[in-house]
Amino acid sequence: MPEPELRLVSQGPPDVDDLMRRASRGDSQAFEALYDELSPAVYGLARRVVRDPARAEDVTQEVFLDVWRKATRFDVERGKAKTWVMTIAHRRAVDAVRRSEAQKRQDHQGAPEEVSHDEPADALIAAEEHGAVRDCLETLTELQLESVRLAYFNGYTYGEVATLLDKPLPTIKTRMRDGLIRLRDCLEGAR
Amino acid sequence: MSTDLHTLSGAYALNALSAEEAEQFQRHLEACPACTQEVRELQQAAAQMGASEEISPPTYLKAKVLAAADRTPQLPPQVTRGNVIHVPRHRWSAILLTAAAAVVLIVAGVVGVNQLGGGGPGEQQDLLAEGVVRVFQAEDAHTATMETANGGKISVATSPELGEMAVDTDELPPLDDEHDYQIWAIHDDTYAPVGVVEREKGAAMDMPDPETVVAITIEPRGGSEQPTTEPIMQVNPSEV
Repeated sequence: MPEPELRLVSQGPPDVDDLMRRASRGDSQAFEALYDELSPAVYGLARRVVRDPARAEDVTQEVFLDVWRKATRFDVERGKAKTWVMTIAHRRAVDAVRRSEAQKRQDHQGAPEEVSHDEPADALIAAEEHGAVRDCLETLTELQLESVRLAYFNGYTYGEVATLLDKPLPTIKTRMRDGLIRLRDCLEGAR
Repeated sequence: MSTDLHTLSGAYALNALSAEEAEQFQRHLEACPACTQEVRELQQAAAQMGASEEISPPTYLKAKVLAAADRTPQLPPQVTRGNVIHVPRHRWSAILLTAAAAVVLIVAGVVGVNQLGGGGPGEQQDLLAEGVVRVFQAEDAHTATMETANGGKISVATSPELGEMAVDTDELPPLDDEHDYQIWAIHDDTYAPVGVVEREKGAAMDMPDPETVVAITIEPRGGSEQPTTEPIMQVNPSEV
């Protein structure tokens, strides 16, 4: 058995930005390490947005192929690699949800379907969220939190969120921005 | 900046805009560094929220992803912003028109060279640079790097979707103060000057029609009305 202390000293957590730089030069081992490091976050987000596990797998695969193809375009000056990957992941997940909604509408020959969502007023902060993010989400007002979460985790446009919450569009737009700014400031302070 | 657009930064960071609105907002970002910075920060906050619930994907997915990546080529690196000049869309059609009508060719050519010599300062320069970056970054970009007769390299990108092409001339050998690189459109054996290109910059332009070849020659400083030397490279953009 190896000494746990020695292992801790010899291998810290891999630097994701550095892995991305190496992957951008075609290093497939670095890409594999990147997958190991980020796939739980990507898959976790995809599951939450698209719900269906099989489709969440498809989204995860699309995301990492995108990351591989576009690693050459990643610029650390513009933000961290993890943020870049999660931004791609979220866009892909939301696209998948919207595609399937559009498909459903087509299948129902344009019959307007009730926008379904999982009870915004209930359990605003999912039990699984932990640590700094959870604490910081608690600093948002209820409307900020609802607006941010319905858009981010259900993939709704701000227009849909406004309809759902029965609020004027400009209000929702503003709450999304205020809410994210508050989250950003709180997370910065938590570091 | 428009207050109304600016307040969309939150919705944009949450991917909560319609496709058209997102595109409109992206164009706004190109002209608004402060908004770009804010969007980055908000995207980072959103990403942290998104990463807060990790679920390990099934183990077989990893082999699938790695195998797929193995079969997938990576995009070429992008040409950095500010590293390029742009031949505006309307200029290219003007050049092709003049190439067809050789009588007005020389007059139009002189105007073209003058227009391109400076590149224009400030905001215009930034907007122009976006054009080339867009071509190299296009999802459907075809790119080719070729060696030039004078021992350098040149990269060409074309995007059928955008209907544009771009050249990166950074790897051409430097010239002395007396000479410039000049781009030409060759159509029916007629050379039409596209413009002088600064080596460390580059150029973007609309895709010419399929029979047109794009060439580069070394000319006396400021460019010529007709080429005075043999082209160091020629490319048919539709074949890149």
